Amino acid sequence: MAQDSGGPKAVDKWFDRASPTYRCVVDPTHQISSLFGWVNVPSAAWIDEDGRIVRSNEGVYPAETTYRFGIGKVRLGDGAFARATRDWIERGADSEYVWSSRELAERLRPVDDDTLLAEATFKLALHFEATGDSERARRHFAAAEHLAPDNWNYLRQGWTHTGTAYAHLKVLRRTNHLRKNTDKSYYDPTGLPDENYHRFVEPEWLWTPAVWRVKQLLRR
Amino acid sequence: MTLIILANGKTNEVSQRTDANGALWVRLDELRGATGWQMKPEGACLGELCVPLPPDRREDWIADADDWVWFCYSDFADMIGQKHVRDGDVWSLGSVPEVRRAGLESAIAPDFEVTERNGDTLRLSDLRGHKVVLFTWSSW
Repeated sequence: MAQDSGGPKAVDKWFDRASPTYRCVVDPTHQISSLFGWVNVPSAAWIDEDGRIVRSNEGVYPAETTYRFGIGKVRLGDGAFARATRDWIERGADSEYVWSSRELAERLRPVDDDTLLAEATFKLALHFEATGDSERARRHFAAAEHLAPDNWNYLRQGWTHTGTAYAHLKVLRRTNHLRKNTDKSYYDPTGLPDENYHRFVEPEWLWTPAVWRVKQLLRR
Repeated sequence: MTLIILANGKTNEVSQRTDANGALWVRLDELRGATGWQMKPEGACLGELCVPLPPDRREDWIADADDWVWFCYSDFADMIGQKHVRDGDVWSLGSVPEVRRAGLESAIAPDFEVTERNGDTLRLSDLRGHKVVLFTWSSW
């Protein structure tokens, strides 16, 4: 499910490249993330034959993924979620990765008033973006960002309205700020036992020896 | 004159009451299409959820004007805790808290209807009886 206010025009090339054998939809209004309470991509849910959610996570890359992110690269994901998904498909409710009732209650928490207001505000921004009223779109994207500062879907979609390069720079700056000043991570841990990669978005270029050397020199 | 109501992932153009005074009034015959709610004898209903209208507000919230019967949706939304934001003639409605709460308690996946790339309509509830892996991504 491609969640993108640009609609098919923005996402078709990715679908075409993947040659998918699964069902594909485009969700320009972020309707499905609102319903499932997701705040980042990629996110996923397992839904059993009775329509019950039995697991829901964010940051669920199907394989080890290296992503060029503006001027840097980030390493995102290993195969933990894919392995767990295969296990659930084969074993169903017997899979050790299915959430218990207690885990479901802890993870699927009710949302507060600001989150609900942010949702309505973000949808208003998307409407004005779609109708070409950029000034009002920016204003409402900013309001949604203020109300829900941890919702990366709102932040990144709103920043992308200004421009892709601008959005990449904002993500780098914000993730670096979070890494240095808070204990928040870009993705919530999935809680999978074999999840073993560094989940924070961390641009590799910051840690190359050459850059490290320049930073040391600048500190003198 | 018309209004735009953004709700449930859809954009709906509806009639505008001339003397709305800043409130969101929706014609009863347009209410379900625009918001999902419909008026029944037991109150305002959204699927199986029905909310009785407070007897002392009923006359304030349902009124004749411009030759039609109108419902003061913004006051009703305030009562049920549904957030709404307005900019000019565009109103955006957030999720209905009670629907979200019920979904959390049951862990039943919220239903939705979307159009697939090939033009088919996909309803999540049509996939009952199958395991579903729902996966989001984006180009940004």
